[in-house]
Amino acid sequence: MLKERLGKEILFFDGGTGTLLQERGLKPGELPEAWSIARRDILVDIHRQYYEAGSDIVLSNTFGANALKYKGGAYSLKEIVRASIENVKEAAVIGAKDGREVYAGLDIGPTGKLLRPMGDLGFEEAYEVFKEAAVYGEAAGADLIHIETMSDTYEVKAAVLAAKENTQLPVFATMIFDERGKLLTGGDVPSVVALLEGLRVDALGINCGLGPKQMLGILDEVMKYASIPVIVKPNAGLPRQRDGQVYYDVEPGEFAGYMEEIVRHGAALVGGCCGTTPAHIKKMVEQVRQSDAFSHRILPETVGKTMVSSYGRAVILGDRPVIIGERINPTGKKRFKQALKEHDLDYLIREGIAQQDAGAHILDVNVGLPDIDEAALLPEVVESLQSITSLPLQIDTVDEASMEAAMRIYNGKPMVNSVNGKQESMDAVFPLIRKYGGVAVGLTLDEDGIPGDVKGRVRIAGKMIEEAEKYGISRKDLVIDVLAMTISSDPGGARVALDALQAVRETYGVCTVLGVSNISFGLPLRPAINANFYTLAMQRGLSAGIINPLSGDMMRSYYSYCALMNYDDNCKEYIRQYGSASAPRDIPAASENTQIPLGTAIERGLKEEAHHAAAVLVKTTEPLDIINHQMIPALDRVGKGFEQGTVFLPQLLMSADAAKIAFAVLKEELSKSGAQDTDKDKVILATVKGDIHDIGKNIVKVLLENYNFDVIDLGKDVPPERIAETAVREDVRLVGLSALMTTTVVSMEDTIKLLRKTKPGCKVMVGGAVLNQEYADLIGADFYGKDAMQSVYYAQKVFEAEADRSSGER
Amino acid sequence: MNTRTKEAIRYLGYGSRAVDDKTLALVLESFDELDRVAEKRIIYRIFPLTAPETDWLRIDNLKIHSRNLSRNLRGCEKAVLLGATLGIQTDRLLKRYSYTDMARAVVLQACAAAVLEENLDRWQTALKEQMKEEGYYLRPRFSPGYGDFSIEHQGEILRMLDSAKRIGLSMTGGNMLAPTKSVTAVIGMGRNDVPCPAGGCECCGKDDCLYRRG
Repeated sequence: MLKERLGKEILFFDGGTGTLLQERGLKPGELPEAWSIARRDILVDIHRQYYEAGSDIVLSNTFGANALKYKGGAYSLKEIVRASIENVKEAAVIGAKDGREVYAGLDIGPTGKLLRPMGDLGFEEAYEVFKEAAVYGEAAGADLIHIETMSDTYEVKAAVLAAKENTQLPVFATMIFDERGKLLTGGDVPSVVALLEGLRVDALGINCGLGPKQMLGILDEVMKYASIPVIVKPNAGLPRQRDGQVYYDVEPGEFAGYMEEIVRHGAALVGGCCGTTPAHIKKMVEQVRQSDAFSHRILPETVGKTMVSSYGRAVILGDRPVIIGERINPTGKKRFKQALKEHDLDYLIREGIAQQDAGAHILDVNVGLPDIDEAALLPEVVESLQSITSLPLQIDTVDEASMEAAMRIYNGKPMVNSVNGKQESMDAVFPLIRKYGGVAVGLTLDEDGIPGDVKGRVRIAGKMIEEAEKYGISRKDLVIDVLAMTISSDPGGARVALDALQAVRETYGVCTVLGVSNISFGLPLRPAINANFYTLAMQRGLSAGIINPLSGDMMRSYYSYCALMNYDDNCKEYIRQYGSASAPRDIPAASENTQIPLGTAIERGLKEEAHHAAAVLVKTTEPLDIINHQMIPALDRVGKGFEQGTVFLPQLLMSADAAKIAFAVLKEELSKSGAQDTDKDKVILATVKGDIHDIGKNIVKVLLENYNFDVIDLGKDVPPERIAETAVREDVRLVGLSALMTTTVVSMEDTIKLLRKTKPGCKVMVGGAVLNQEYADLIGADFYGKDAMQSVYYAQKVFEAEADRSSGER
Repeated sequence: MNTRTKEAIRYLGYGSRAVDDKTLALVLESFDELDRVAEKRIIYRIFPLTAPETDWLRIDNLKIHSRNLSRNLRGCEKAVLLGATLGIQTDRLLKRYSYTDMARAVVLQACAAAVLEENLDRWQTALKEQMKEEGYYLRPRFSPGYGDFSIEHQGEILRMLDSAKRIGLSMTGGNMLAPTKSVTAVIGMGRNDVPCPAGGCECCGKDDCLYRRG
């Protein structure tokens, strides 16, 4: 059986197919999969040659056999997949005559589309596409599923989940790296290994993109992190171009030489990709078999590293302490709760960006509030955050359904907060970790509560580690939180936590995490206690503190600790942080020495000054007065200048950004006083379906918000149904649509038609590069905004007219 | 002021008017950031070109009906298909700034367009030299979506270039390139050095355009 052989003996894949098909007349851009039926003899012949050359695993001609790539062919996808697998099986009978056990692998390549949020292919859509191929493949008798040539961690996650959830077959996954060890989508080697091992593939590795020589370095990097068998399938050299045609020039002998080296460096499954031929594979099999490369391969001692990852990077816990930013959490924060209730995701996203800029390595994400559909909101927030930050996230919820929903769509291997020693909790969380991958935060409490002593907490940690092992979850994927109790009510709280922290580290060798900020609850000058406790905890072996990275005190503790403990080479980071500043400051800060009036600050687009002026004003003046008498007039002046051509778009937006910052100050004040923002007029903005250019829409949004409209931003690539449904649900009177190209104006027209039907009376304004008045009329829009200010004026007009009407009615 | 700076400022709608200092500073910072973040990638392939009928042409297996492109490629016997992108990190950066600093997002977007064009120009100059040695002259590049060269051909061009796999360039359901800062184009290769017709703005009919050059 294949699974039993993995990693215990060397196994050989086949080589390239595409190049050979092109030699036999396949045109660039033509669907190679159709040849599985139309030119069956050729495919069987190629597969046979590979078996004869010594391949153990031959892949089917199904690289592009998915509903998104294989379109308009003469045969159905099911027929193609079945025939392709049958071709391989037939070739095995004629090709592998020595009675050895060989395998037919269902080859799955990428969809060729970019996934949301950067592209327009939904994660579940991608999943369905892969599921279809996987199910056909298993039915046709494939022995394994080989997912390859992936350059997007999100897409590979969809493919692996589809294969594992819908078939019983072993699943392999390999990705394309460039010479710097990066994916086209930005991911690095550890992030890929963390993700794929978390998803529990049977083997992982690298293919395509590079020649064997360049892959050696990447392989070494993979071996540093991988604890499962590794696959290497290089091209026959780096792609070269002659007359614009791609070719590869590493000959079979040279290829075999490199492949022996690659096996020596730890690969357990090897083969070839683009440009390799049966001759390459034959030479490789001979040379590797004759050598002692496999039995004498250098395997780095696999110390299981605790890793979490995003699409772009992995964070390793255990050595230098890392910072988990705690601020995306409504607990005790009125303004945050209000943002959640208003579905103001921008506020959450800015909290994320601020923490990243302040030095956080991981962001905790908690959006739990009574009255909130957490299972819908949490994945949405996770996706939004992942479109702007490459920091790994810590999914923080007590609700199992929300946890699963977020883990499923998370791009990477998340940290999961939390599980505890209660059987019920472990029964719920560990299966999720097993399925989606993740590092679970284990709280040392159980059915009897939190033990008051060190021994009790250590015991519960042990219980969780043991239970996790039953699921095949190794202790590297469990980090223990020994729980720090508030010292004002539990005087021994800090001491017990510190002792337990150290004991857990020493007893089990696991990583630890601790919510640091609760320790000082009820005491004055909390940052002082927090910062000192943080330092003590790091000294006792805290791997990751959950802290507020915007607190200067906490960050000073962190950077000082790293400098003192030699985690900071030449104190570089410390000097970078504090070298130029006379006194490090808390964020956000406003320059104190400015006396510029708010209106002027906005007109000139000065953000810090606007922040400061608003903060001063709000102490003496009602927020609404400030808005109506200072901010709006300033914005009007800038808007006029823009119309007259004396102010240009960047300047208009600098003013808008300054105003936005002033608004944030006022809003903070309003939510503090518990006063409700006056009922604002709602406007929906969306970039229409098929369109992913949203800068124009974002410009309009900023300006409308400046003028105190409540903008419901549906984002980009928004289907007509979602816009119409939101307009009805929120009773919206004005919808703004943006489209860049003629092809997407069609979606605009569809949206308008649907709105007319479902929400009569709702006005629609449109804008975008290809639009003009004529075009707007043609598709039935109420208004064409040739620039952003025009949209603001129109919005004002719509709602003024309405106000007049409703006052008339009264 | 170098060409890309001038171009970025033109994209921002300044026309012939002088740029203010704050915007200029933003432009320069954005170029710096793009030089660090953007992953400039270009791929191309050369195909045989035939023009069986008026306004119809064929690039290998790709059949195109376009008067504008036919005129552009008149007298050519081969065509270069190219795909270029600044990569997904540029999109991420744009997105991030659209939450925190809209002015910067807009400037960055203009600068990204300028960097993309600059990179293509540089690449095309090198290709021109190389092709000259082989006895070919290049025509100006022409992209689907311009004139009557239908954007519907985007998918076929990407497939012929195998661009998703090679440089991560794909498209949406609306034939829009993803990542957004990307270009595909056709460049004709002919044996004769025809005087290069004015390209870009100069040959566009929309003479009241805010962004028009000159």
